[in-house]
Amino acid sequence: MASPVVAQRPAETPARPGRRRRPGIGRRDHLIGWLLIAPALVYFIIFLLYPALAALYYSFTEWDLHSAPIWVGLQNYTDLFFDDVKYPHFWKSVQVTLQYTLVAVPLTLIAALGQALLINSIRRGSNLFRLLLFLPVVTAEAAVGAIWRWLYDPQYGLVNAVLGLVGIPRQNWLNTPELVIPALAFIAAWQCGISMIIYLAGLKSIPESIREAAVIDGAGPVQRFFKVVVPMLRPTTFYLVVTGIIAALQVFGLVYVIFSGGGNRSVTGGPEQSGLAYVLHIYLYAFRYNAMGAACAMSFILLVFIMIITFVQFKFMKQEAS
Amino acid sequence: MIRRVTGAAAAAVLLAGLAACGGGSEEGGAGSATTELTYWMFQDRTPQAGEVVEKIRTDFEKANPGVKVNIVKIPKDDYNTKLGSALAGNTVPDVGILDQPLVSRFAQEGTIKEVPAGTLNEADFWEGALNTNKVGGKLYGFPIDHTAVALFYNKALVPTPPKTWDELKSISAGIHQKDPKVAGIVVPKGDGYGAWMWPGVVGGAGGQMVDEANKKILFDQAPAVEALQLWVDLLPSSPREITDSDQAFANGLAGMMISGPWDVATIKDQFPDLDFNVAPLPYKTTPAGNIGGENAVVFTKGKNEALAWKWLQHLTNSTNNTTLAQALGGFPVNKEAAERDAATFGEQQQAFLEQLKVAQARPALPQWIQINDEIIAPALESALSGKMTAQESLTDAANKTRALLGWNS
Repeated sequence: MASPVVAQRPAETPARPGRRRRPGIGRRDHLIGWLLIAPALVYFIIFLLYPALAALYYSFTEWDLHSAPIWVGLQNYTDLFFDDVKYPHFWKSVQVTLQYTLVAVPLTLIAALGQALLINSIRRGSNLFRLLLFLPVVTAEAAVGAIWRWLYDPQYGLVNAVLGLVGIPRQNWLNTPELVIPALAFIAAWQCGISMIIYLAGLKSIPESIREAAVIDGAGPVQRFFKVVVPMLRPTTFYLVVTGIIAALQVFGLVYVIFSGGGNRSVTGGPEQSGLAYVLHIYLYAFRYNAMGAACAMSFILLVFIMIITFVQFKFMKQEAS
Repeated sequence: MIRRVTGAAAAAVLLAGLAACGGGSEEGGAGSATTELTYWMFQDRTPQAGEVVEKIRTDFEKANPGVKVNIVKIPKDDYNTKLGSALAGNTVPDVGILDQPLVSRFAQEGTIKEVPAGTLNEADFWEGALNTNKVGGKLYGFPIDHTAVALFYNKALVPTPPKTWDELKSISAGIHQKDPKVAGIVVPKGDGYGAWMWPGVVGGAGGQMVDEANKKILFDQAPAVEALQLWVDLLPSSPREITDSDQAFANGLAGMMISGPWDVATIKDQFPDLDFNVAPLPYKTTPAGNIGGENAVVFTKGKNEALAWKWLQHLTNSTNNTTLAQALGGFPVNKEAAERDAATFGEQQQAFLEQLKVAQARPALPQWIQINDEIIAPALESALSGKMTAQESLTDAANKTRALLGWNS
């Protein structure tokens, strides 16, 4: 299908200089091209582009999901930023989410790299370990919540039992405001399977010759790790940091299942709002307090923030292997 | 050839479909034109519940020839979202269940109809349940089944349940003193759930949350402060590190807890050895309690209004209300049904029936869920964690609520 296009490259038709292949619709093979991407395009427009644009519109309105939206201009945005009567926990949710991101992303990457190094170093049974370490990723979120509420239980929890062995006193993990974020970040690190697989691929792509050269030059394992492995993995790390931060800023399911507990408890984000993730805050306003307009505005604030953060990372972080 | 065969097959399918449609409409007609009433409700909890609802439906259709009730069952978690889209898309049901806190919002917007005079005899219903349908003194719906919280107690640790706050405090202290590993009572937390139960305690000191008619916030006054102080005072004998454990009461780690009838079934099922019972909430001056449950309303955009009210009368009459409430997992709101059938409820359920008699509806303000979750819950937590006194945190919360609602006092 593509061959006629290739055959008519301008370089091969010097008879008509300046006349280039017209891009766009109109030619038969273009039509086929459009047809082929049509399903993806239709999906993109209906399920992503249109809802996003609609959300942008609703963010300028006061809308409760069933009566007609009322245009209020920028009021949702200014109220979110400055009116702490209307949105008493907006800034708290920002703070919680940033703290969570700062703790969870490095912890996840360290756990993922550690696991990848271990799997990479064993010769037998690496498939089994890879499977076991990946399991937390494919476990249903509700089950993850139930398991970890048990593990963190102040009376019977395994976490306290293990820490007790080394003399650390019992903690009430999910009910002490200061401990909530570390506890959540630890669960995120436990679910680092995808990052682990990507790191593993990165490790496999480091040429053996470089390692051997380092060994000949007399570099020990620690030196090899910091001078060879870490620099060679830089593109992988960059990718994982960028995607990890985006995911951490949008954390929702984990917080929701950890704090929703028994069916009748309402989710207000843990003790003293210490686990009130930004997206949980959006959810509450959208579906519990019927303030869809404000929720849409919060979503857009998050979108812009993520775009800025990602841009800054692309601009200032080293991406190339060295 | 193949094309012709498929064509014939398609035609046959089409004809069969048409025939089915034709058959359907003739069947329901029974001589006169069929009137269809659409009723939305939460999905059945059990297959048995489905049978109960089905029987009530066929009874209604038999009593009203030419009427067909079309019941649409929707999972509870999706209900409000689906209803929201239906209202936006003009495909509203004629009549349906509505979450209690939404009644005031929908009434103010005109989404639901006021109950016409003479449709419902107020004296037939428990006042608290009825009041959850009132907005600005006017009635906008029927209570269907309701529930409340009460005091669960472990009989091994609490031989006689406390009736007053003083008894509650001394029993709680006694339990913890006897065995420091056991807490007196699971003190509710400063979250949305705790804030939902708390008005029942405020009522126990003779107080109220707000005075809607005069636009006054009352939860910073003495009864509310005393109610919060009660929870604070219970904490030393009920340490969080014990009560935050999963199922602390059912595991025998706490002598008492405040919860609803749903926990009776769970505990009996999962902890068959626990010897427990349920008593009405202890009070200071007046027996009181909170309330939650299902109301049903008639939608302005729906059809067959008269029939819709008739259907709601049918669901809540003294014949049907108990079986329906039991199927839905709550308690009857029809006084006659509740008193006549009290014995059909188990031993541990009696306290909830008692609570419903004295229950107080939550304030009929559209913003109430938000106030409950975002303002009152954190205020309770501030006092319970010792960051502020009960009075300080409630004064602060009351001021925030006044600012949010634009009320001056």
